[in-house]
Amino acid sequence: MKILILNGNPSEKGKEIDGYIERLAGGIKNAGHTVQVFTLRDMKITPCLGCFDCWVKTPGLCSIKDDAVEIAKTFITADHVIFCSPLLMGFVSSVLKNAMDRKLPLIHPHLEEIEGEVHHKKRYDKYPLLSFLLEKEEGTDEEDLSIVTDIFRRESINLRSALGFVHVTDTPVKEMLNELGIH
Amino acid sequence: MNLVFINGSPRTTKSNTGKLMDRFLRGFQETAGNTFDQEYLFKHRKYFGQLVEKFAAAENVIIGFPLYVDAMPGSVKEFIEALEPLTGRKNLPALGFVVQCGFPETAHLRFVARYCEKLARRLGCQPLGSILKGGCEGLDVQPDFLKAKYFSSFYAIGAHFGKTGNFDETLLKKLAHPEHLKAENMLQLIPFINQGLWDAQMEKNNVLDKSFDRPLLP
Repeated sequence: MKILILNGNPSEKGKEIDGYIERLAGGIKNAGHTVQVFTLRDMKITPCLGCFDCWVKTPGLCSIKDDAVEIAKTFITADHVIFCSPLLMGFVSSVLKNAMDRKLPLIHPHLEEIEGEVHHKKRYDKYPLLSFLLEKEEGTDEEDLSIVTDIFRRESINLRSALGFVHVTDTPVKEMLNELGIH
Repeated sequence: MNLVFINGSPRTTKSNTGKLMDRFLRGFQETAGNTFDQEYLFKHRKYFGQLVEKFAAAENVIIGFPLYVDAMPGSVKEFIEALEPLTGRKNLPALGFVVQCGFPETAHLRFVARYCEKLARRLGCQPLGSILKGGCEGLDVQPDFLKAKYFSSFYAIGAHFGKTGNFDETLLKKLAHPEHLKAENMLQLIPFINQGLWDAQMEKNNVLDKSFDRPLLP
């Protein structure tokens, strides 16, 4: 299995998620699977400009040439992608969100009906399963987790994937590995 | 009444969000004495300090953005993170949102609207609610009667807000229509958007034959 981990922690200080990701990646590797970790804060990821060049000028390719291209390439060949971020003001970090916005070239502008709603067509045959690992912030409550989980489910539909799991860093690494199908 | 409208579209002055809010702001000015400032969030990305101060000092703030991957654009999230130090401060503005998307159904926007509402409460701002509208991509090429409908709704919501300081629920509901599409409308609309909006642009750029290219495969 090929697993991609996107670490969206904006700062290496003061959060426990970096250490968690290290243990998680170690566990995946030890079980003989392939894992790649991108630490987004160390990469150059320009925000999506909404120019739609990736749909109407250079189909499938973003007009911005930065590290998001490498991420998109790895993303589309992975079996499972885990988006990781501390919650900041109740949502994933802007560092991670900017990387997620740059996934637009992976889908097609054409719309089609999926379960009574309009969504975009696939560009590729296969998309990875999407999961989320979050670290709670001060004041994180059930409502926050329900809001982000519902948004993640929508994002999974629109990236033509499915939502795997949404966990917080309170979950033992072993349990996460079990859910990834790694024993 | 004073209003700061923060346009969070990465397209800045050429945004659909701005075109719609332009009508809202005209309506808002119907009431004598009302004043507004418009700020383009994307232009403040290098340093948000000034915009954060403006937010803190305002009476009312509306943040507008297009839906990006089912939520706010990453650049708008950058600004939201910059607002964190204001959390719980006294006399923060009343805070509302305007969110639009290309999907024809407004239902796509209900999820991020829950986040927006919670964000207002997290900061300690009086929540004004969210103005939500689907079907807004390619406003320039949409039929005039549709545009006129959107624009008059935005004008009416702005005029009501200018008078009362609230978003009118009935007007919001009218604007949000269609929340979902009926099967027969979907069948009609999908080819209209696929060919009329997207294929037409690809054809103009001579890349229609590359439409379904997969350039990122190894």
